[in-house]
Amino acid sequence: MKWVPETKGFDEAFDGAGAPRRHYRALISLLESFTQSDIERRERLQKLSLIDQGVTFTVYGEKEGVERIFPFDFVPRIIPAGEWRRVEAGLVQRVTALNLFIADVYGEQKCLKDGIIPAELVLSRKEYKRVLRHLLPSRGVYTHVVGTDIIRNDRGDYLVLEDNCRVPSGVSYVLENRNLLHRVFPELFTQYPVRPIKDYPLLLRDTLLRAAPRPGDNPTLVVLSPGVYNSAFFEHSFLAREMGAVLVEGRDLIVEDNHVFMRTTRGRQRVDVIYRRVDDDFLDPLAFRRDSLLGVPGLINAYREGNIGLANAPGAGVADDKAVYAFMPQLIRYYLGEDALLPQVETYVGFRPDDFAYMRDNLGTLVVKTTGDSGGYGMLMGPFASKKEIDAYAAQMRKNPSGYVAQPLVELSAHPTYVDGAFNARRIDLRPFILYGDRVRVLPGGLTRVALREGSYVVNSSQGGGSKDTWVIAERSL
Amino acid sequence: MLSRVADALYWMGRYVERAENITRLLLVTDDFATEAMGLDEDLAHAAWKDLLAIFPAAQLTRETPPYAPIALPYLLAFFADARNPYSVSFSLRRARENARAVREALTLEVFVVMNETFLALEKWEKKPPADGPGLRDALTSMHRGLFSVVGAIDHTLPRDEGWLFLQLGESLERLYRTAYVLRAKLPGLLEPPAAGELPLQPAQWRTLLRGLASLEHFRKVYGTRLEPEIVVPFLLFDPQAPRSLRYGADAVARCLAEITGGGDAALAARLTGRLAAELRYADPKRPDADSSGLLDRVADEVAKIHDALEARFFVT
Repeated sequence: MKWVPETKGFDEAFDGAGAPRRHYRALISLLESFTQSDIERRERLQKLSLIDQGVTFTVYGEKEGVERIFPFDFVPRIIPAGEWRRVEAGLVQRVTALNLFIADVYGEQKCLKDGIIPAELVLSRKEYKRVLRHLLPSRGVYTHVVGTDIIRNDRGDYLVLEDNCRVPSGVSYVLENRNLLHRVFPELFTQYPVRPIKDYPLLLRDTLLRAAPRPGDNPTLVVLSPGVYNSAFFEHSFLAREMGAVLVEGRDLIVEDNHVFMRTTRGRQRVDVIYRRVDDDFLDPLAFRRDSLLGVPGLINAYREGNIGLANAPGAGVADDKAVYAFMPQLIRYYLGEDALLPQVETYVGFRPDDFAYMRDNLGTLVVKTTGDSGGYGMLMGPFASKKEIDAYAAQMRKNPSGYVAQPLVELSAHPTYVDGAFNARRIDLRPFILYGDRVRVLPGGLTRVALREGSYVVNSSQGGGSKDTWVIAERSL
Repeated sequence: MLSRVADALYWMGRYVERAENITRLLLVTDDFATEAMGLDEDLAHAAWKDLLAIFPAAQLTRETPPYAPIALPYLLAFFADARNPYSVSFSLRRARENARAVREALTLEVFVVMNETFLALEKWEKKPPADGPGLRDALTSMHRGLFSVVGAIDHTLPRDEGWLFLQLGESLERLYRTAYVLRAKLPGLLEPPAAGELPLQPAQWRTLLRGLASLEHFRKVYGTRLEPEIVVPFLLFDPQAPRSLRYGADAVARCLAEITGGGDAALAARLTGRLAAELRYADPKRPDADSSGLLDRVADEVAKIHDALEARFFVT
């Protein structure tokens, strides 16, 4: 079998001399023991299994409601215990600080008064919901579930790329990928003590129920989904099933007397906690977007009265803004008195005139993003853009400098991936999932996304990305 | 349970039952038409045409070559043509859409086997088998797929409210369809045969019984005597044949009683109770005199029961 290591950036499995790294040796020799036809037979099995089980996401834009499977690459990504320990500690620290920050900007606004981050930058974000000021959720937890995207640079350092504090998705694929690999390549697990992840739904349930306004009373938990046409519907349904929760859409809920009920065959039934998988803007047409058909009129009032738990709390999105991200190292130091354990990518903020001037003069070497968007929309990849594209983008930027941030292009790490009959290096990232219940916990590993196209940096599922099982090795082993 | 989920499960039950009914009627009609073709071409054609009365909103949407066998347009339209609202394709697609929307209310086994059956059908939609034998083969394997769905439902679902709504949909659809099948077939069969036309009558009665999946049961009880005085009361009032009207009304009534806990005076429960009582205590000796009136009444009542269910449970 042919193995082609990455030559440009950091290769997860091979060192600079092209020799397998220690923690990949056993895996590589195991995979070497399979014949090509054996591997291909098993690949067919796993693909069939995804299709039959309907593990799909919906693609927008094409023919309506096209269901696609998220391609799965069976070569697992391995994270040694020591590396993971550092990543985990960094994430716990970061999520703790994020919550202190959100509570602060909706409360006393000390960080703004102390000039740690410009007040205007925070308060002008559309994710900052003025109506939620002075409304502190129980125990100050805003982000019950966070998905933080992490990449590795050419030295192999783990860097935070962004935080998703609203409705991070992908955890269903983490669990399904593990199931799939267990079934299709059981041999791979014989040589590694891989930390288990299958209890995540229970942990998630416990975490969410902590948001219940009347705890101990066997609270009713629902998962609020935009519905079957949403791209992540499989995940909503999967998590509801795995947690034993009820999957609801906005039209299933009704607010009366500032209490939330669902419409059932036996009349109305009280709801205590909503794990909402719809954005703030679509939660409640009375409080946010008036044209929203997905929302539940009166929900925010019920929340204000303390009669319903919402996870994540509305307004939490202010913390994953791309301009706020640039200030995270300072915010961590401000709230926790510690240096950030996980470094992040150097970021220029258009809000600061000096930064903007630098951005304008160096567009050709930068990756520029708009602060409001996510999922790669509204982005400029300077090093790959034409002069014309760059000029057009610069003209856009001048209209609203504070709407933009820029970062140098980070050479993503690469990982052996079975493509075209060989193990070729393809670029990857990592999205760990962090739960904030009684304390902050991190699911070992997370979702490793892989850009299946040669040379590509884009790992998004809608643009030719796939995913891998992610193994965190148990401590004191190997 | 959520009204929306109950609604989806009810329709999933109806659509799975409908897909199975269409599949079975296609296979049975094809057998009869092949047998009758050389003896009485009109009768063979009429058997196919009856499908348009049994599924009144159905459409023959496929173009077929002018000299194609008469079975072909019917087989194509009712099997893998998603544009015909009474095709297997259309019904199974709806069943699967409902299942996907309420996946968390089903088991993995039910969803997987439903999905597999649906994906096989999608392949036939794209490239339908070209001739009768090919279509028959596909239909037979579709029939097995549908039985697997029903089997997975039976073996893995908890007997909770969701299951009751699935059963309710299935029973109601079955009762409704039996009434339509009998309404389409009985008048012709009960007409006194013209001289020299006799040989196909037993085949028609046999086909009717097979079309309602009751031939073997009938034989066990009555032997081979395919006489109208026996077959008609059997299909209307037999307490054990799963597709007799009486059994169907009882099944709907049982589901409703369990869903409402018995003490509910809901309109749907009252309508069903009255219908079940009429069928239970009807005089089996003289059904043919007014059977067409009875069949119309059953079809109307079932439609009313459906409306009452919707108002009581689904739109809340």
